[in-house]
Amino acid sequence: MRAVTHDERAAAGLLAGLVAVLMAVTAFPILYSLWISLFAVNLRRPNRMPFVGLDNYIAVLSSPAFWGSVGRTALFSALAVAAILVIATLVALLLDQEFPGRRILSACLLIPWAIPSVVNGLMWKWIYDSNYGALNGLLLQLGFIGSATIWLGDSNRTLPLIANAFIWKEVPLAAILLLVTLKSIPADLYGAAAVDGAPAWRRFFAITLPALRPGFLLVTLYEAMMAVRHFDLFFLLTEGGPGGASDVVAWRIYVETFRNLSFGTGAAMSYILAIATLLMSYALIRGMARTL
Amino acid sequence: MARIRFQSVTKRYANGATAVAGLDLDIADQEFLVLLGPSGCGKSTTLNMIAGLEEISEGALLFDDRTMNNVPAHRRDVAMVFQSYALYPHKSVFENIAFGLRMRRVPEPELRRRVMDAAAKLEIAHLLERRPSQLSGGQRQRVALGRAMVREPSVFLMDEPLSNLDASLRISMRAQIRHLHAQMHSTFVYVTHDQAEALTLADRIVVMRDGTIQQIGSPDDIYERPANLFVASFLGSPAINLLEGALETIGGTLCFRRGALTVPLPACFRGDAREVVLGLRPEDVGPATSEAAQIHGVVDTAMPAGSDQFLGVAVEGAMLFLRVPKDVRVREGEPIGFGLTESRLHLFDRTTGRSLRRAA
Repeated sequence: MRAVTHDERAAAGLLAGLVAVLMAVTAFPILYSLWISLFAVNLRRPNRMPFVGLDNYIAVLSSPAFWGSVGRTALFSALAVAAILVIATLVALLLDQEFPGRRILSACLLIPWAIPSVVNGLMWKWIYDSNYGALNGLLLQLGFIGSATIWLGDSNRTLPLIANAFIWKEVPLAAILLLVTLKSIPADLYGAAAVDGAPAWRRFFAITLPALRPGFLLVTLYEAMMAVRHFDLFFLLTEGGPGGASDVVAWRIYVETFRNLSFGTGAAMSYILAIATLLMSYALIRGMARTL
Repeated sequence: MARIRFQSVTKRYANGATAVAGLDLDIADQEFLVLLGPSGCGKSTTLNMIAGLEEISEGALLFDDRTMNNVPAHRRDVAMVFQSYALYPHKSVFENIAFGLRMRRVPEPELRRRVMDAAAKLEIAHLLERRPSQLSGGQRQRVALGRAMVREPSVFLMDEPLSNLDASLRISMRAQIRHLHAQMHSTFVYVTHDQAEALTLADRIVVMRDGTIQQIGSPDDIYERPANLFVASFLGSPAINLLEGALETIGGTLCFRRGALTVPLPACFRGDAREVVLGLRPEDVGPATSEAAQIHGVVDTAMPAGSDQFLGVAVEGAMLFLRVPKDVRVREGEPIGFGLTESRLHLFDRTTGRSLRRAA
């Protein structure tokens, strides 16, 4: 067997502390939640914790309410990711141009991203508020609406409105990722296409869009993962309401675990969400990598 | 058909830097013109102005009799090969070559025929399905040439197209570019900082420096009759030897004097300067004979270079580099004498740098 060198021993010693912390705060909860997902754990009956195997998973997957929340999660994520892609692309294209004030605009753009999620949630709660909200104020003053509207109380509008708050926070990061991709396109390519006879819009479709594909992949992947698992805004703005209109999977996990205190089912749902996210990401990477 | 004319063209950037100043240049139809100069001399800017990739700040650019200043690149009948090749990374080789034809709505059968023709000529027909990232540097270079060729443009622009290739490939591509020019009946404008490329390819060379033209002429003119010190020292490898000295008339003959060295000068030089620089190309020396002007010095270094050898000879406090046949026996530290070919001497005004050769 090969002898362990001094460097390797030193590296192991230096990493040991970090690895121990990571094991305690990451690996342990992950494995422990997998463990409890196999038991009927309910804090209202803390002394009885029978092993139920995959029963929790079967119960979740056969529940129509769960599938309802899966549908709402998918709708929310699709809305959010599509809008983020379009808006971030436009912002990145704008910031790729040279104009006075570009640096200041870039800095301002980062503000939503820098705001903590909870602050963002509370801010949008104020904006959407039916009594003193800025949205009602603006629309009333501009004459678009005749009377104050209870925005988040309309079940048809709830998901798009929450998606809007999510998009507002996520666009800056997506725009920066796309801007970096734009900056990496060699100027000669545009020169070559212009000389080849392509007007500006053809150059955009022949060069810019194909070159943005890796950026699109990254943004779609990251934002889809964020949207599918998003919880903060649902908690702060609607608590799954009105009438379950914003009852998404992340919210359902919270309710099941911390309100119903049914840790076994909550853990099983978390695992289902994690595996679904993993599969979705894998499919996205496979699908989009083929077009790169 | 395209004759290209620059009339007092200046290119100034937003930061105030002037890339090209008051350029006057007339490029004949179907000529092969090379813009030669060190980096930053304005040669690529000049090319980009022809292509329409740089706006013209002042003056006029004409193709035949049409002013092109405000004609966008995609409406000019030019094709260009970039130093970086600028192949579209997401398109196959076929689509790279075909792109310009698609933009001009060339019917599909003709488009295929022209792409296949160009690919066959450039020996890249087997690569048509590949992406640029799957090609070697030489192959990419040929695809870039193909993309420009199929367009059959009236103006063909090349911006240092060979500079990323290795030496042997560069020489064979030079020959290919010459052939291309012979076949295409287009006006070629070629930018390079490589004097060998310029001398082998050009009908005429324009030597540029700091955004201005230093000399325009045939390769022979530029090499044999450089207009100033810059042109003389930019061309030639190893570089021309430059000896500072003074002009004197001795016995009715104009002579170059430096210390004990006296070189009688041919009648083709004007004597209207005192402080001068004598230019002597390393290869322009012969055996010491009684008829020729002679230089005597001491061999400092002798370096064999294949068919020739290079000698460093100390003459009057200066070091001359000379190229002599391999069979000349020399030893370092020994005195040596050489004959000069009078007709191949160069003489410049030391103050202005201008050649003192009389206009032919």
